[in-house]
Amino acid sequence: MPEALPVPLLSAAPEPPRRGRLTVEIRQHATGWHQGLVLAGGLALGMALATAILLACGVGLSDLIQEFVVSVVSSPASLSAVLIQAAPLAIVGLAAAVAFRVRFWNIGIEGQMILGAVAATAVAIHDVGPAPLRLVLMMLVAALAGMAWVLAPALLKIRLGLNEVISTLLLNYVAFNGLLHLLYGAWRDPASSFPNSEQYEAAERLGELGWENLTWALPLAGLLTVLCWWLLNVSRFGFLSRVAEANPRLGEGQGLPMTRVMLAAALLSGGLAGIAGFSICAGVEYRMTQSFFSGYGFSGILIAFLARNNPLGAFVTAILVGVLFVAGQSLQVFYGIPGAMVQLIQAVIVISVAASDFFVRHRVRWVSGRRSDV
Amino acid sequence: MSDFIVNWLANVPAFALPYALAALGLIITEKAGVLSLGAEGFLLVGAMSGIGVLLGIGDHPALALVVAAFSAALLSLVYALLVVTLRVNQVIGGLALVFLAQGMTGVIATRAGWTNRPVDGLQPVPLGGLGEVPVLGPILFQHDILVFAAVPLVALVAHVLGRTMFGLRLRAVGDGPDAADAAGIGVAATRYGAIALGAALVGLAGGYLSVGVAKIWVEGMSGGRGWIAVALVIFARWQPWRALAGALLFGGIEALIPRIAAIGVALPQYLVLMTPYLATLAVMIWICLRHDGTSLEPRALGIAHMREERR
Repeated sequence: MPEALPVPLLSAAPEPPRRGRLTVEIRQHATGWHQGLVLAGGLALGMALATAILLACGVGLSDLIQEFVVSVVSSPASLSAVLIQAAPLAIVGLAAAVAFRVRFWNIGIEGQMILGAVAATAVAIHDVGPAPLRLVLMMLVAALAGMAWVLAPALLKIRLGLNEVISTLLLNYVAFNGLLHLLYGAWRDPASSFPNSEQYEAAERLGELGWENLTWALPLAGLLTVLCWWLLNVSRFGFLSRVAEANPRLGEGQGLPMTRVMLAAALLSGGLAGIAGFSICAGVEYRMTQSFFSGYGFSGILIAFLARNNPLGAFVTAILVGVLFVAGQSLQVFYGIPGAMVQLIQAVIVISVAASDFFVRHRVRWVSGRRSDV
Repeated sequence: MSDFIVNWLANVPAFALPYALAALGLIITEKAGVLSLGAEGFLLVGAMSGIGVLLGIGDHPALALVVAAFSAALLSLVYALLVVTLRVNQVIGGLALVFLAQGMTGVIATRAGWTNRPVDGLQPVPLGGLGEVPVLGPILFQHDILVFAAVPLVALVAHVLGRTMFGLRLRAVGDGPDAADAAGIGVAATRYGAIALGAALVGLAGGYLSVGVAKIWVEGMSGGRGWIAVALVIFARWQPWRALAGALLFGGIEALIPRIAAIGVALPQYLVLMTPYLATLAVMIWICLRHDGTSLEPRALGIAHMREERR
């Protein structure tokens, strides 16, 4: 370290006038308006960056407006494609929101989706149960399988303090390899010998609603949204989850069952993820493919994050992300934009919104210069 | 049987090195109190930019590795801005960074046409007759330059962190940022430096994955190794030498998989591929079980620092 220059204790020279500068303070409370404004700013920044990236990739501005806005509003086929895409997105968004509400970082949504789809497909392949009840049974086992896959990380966190970010993530890779084991082995489609499961029969598919190609997956997502909203905002569990979010130690001290709340939320999250896996297989692809889950884990986190873990907000956000997915597919087909662009745009938006959050939690002020003789 | 063991041991360093380099990088970052969940992303960025240099500029493996480290360090500044300056939750920030890197590498590599194109990559250092020595030759002397550099690098990091002024400041920032701040150490600057330096090592590990081992770029090729490295650092209790031991353990497991297949033992391939992840989980559970209360985790790990009410 360089030594400081010797400075006389009582300096005769006056202190130089201070220049103005920015100061940062922690803001205790932000009004709803303020939060909304900052969120809108963050979103706008993210979208501006995303637009810039797409323009740099050679897509024209008018093409972007056409793909992202006009076609969704003007064509029923596009709107229905968006809503079909939004249904599983909403469910994974709920899965993430429920877990994040109690600060359980469930990053294993994709693994739980895989387990759910595997369980549902097992029921479909082996024709378990009477045909009229088949779908209900498939959904039930999907939820249970998703719960089972998150149970170990949840218990390990509660009992041993094992970090759930890493354990849930590692289990994604285990589940994925298990899926490949089935699809390249016992469950390979005998009809085409592609690594898919065989096609679901009619009784194993979510029925169509009668408008465009919409299926019952969308009402299912809506129902789950309302259920989660009631659970998180009205019920006693919702109150307990708020305590767990704000200060679990305080709750523990008050004799509230904080560990049980965390376990319940984690299981609910895993169950929802399992249902999301089921809804894609039974409502969109009518079979289990080797990549049906791909990207949903991240989108679930994004949706919960943007919706501030609010179920109703998650449903709305899921529709917007659905627009991005559908537009991304058409950009890929017609403009040669890589499929990874959808993920890049989502990441840019998450980062912008997360960064803008700084202005919710802090007050930044300009302090003007002071003269020392004041 | 002895052939099997020699082949296996000869392959361990190449599998262990990415873990060792990534874990070293993570130790540097986390010793300064910054959780680093972005490792998977830095691996990808390093791996892609290394291949990009080989395909775009020419067959210069050394340059490719330098660029791999540099580009990861560059991207890590985004992470530093998020978690140090803007005080974003470090779990969210780290995950967002991984997703950003996944999307970015996918878009760039696809547009540049770098996917699935084999390269010559890094070759073993020619040591003449030494490599021909039976048994010891393949195990010890048929490796590339980075493998030989690994042990000195671990020693260097251990020395710098443990025995230099720079290392002391870095650890002070990670254990007690308030006290470090009061002592005149720039907390934010130190953390920016630790994040960039750590990311450079993780990026080097990624570059080694593509340029040194796979000699090809495939989207998402890091395959969860960044997360395993995060677990490895906890296993190593933030100590460089223990991280090297852990890297050898995980590298040993991973190197075993292709060897078993090569001698014609028919095991269910995809179930075998689960083992690195399950082994990581098992190791983490084991650490938690023998947890003795005196954790060596940097005390301010994951906590953003702010001088309260600065005037």
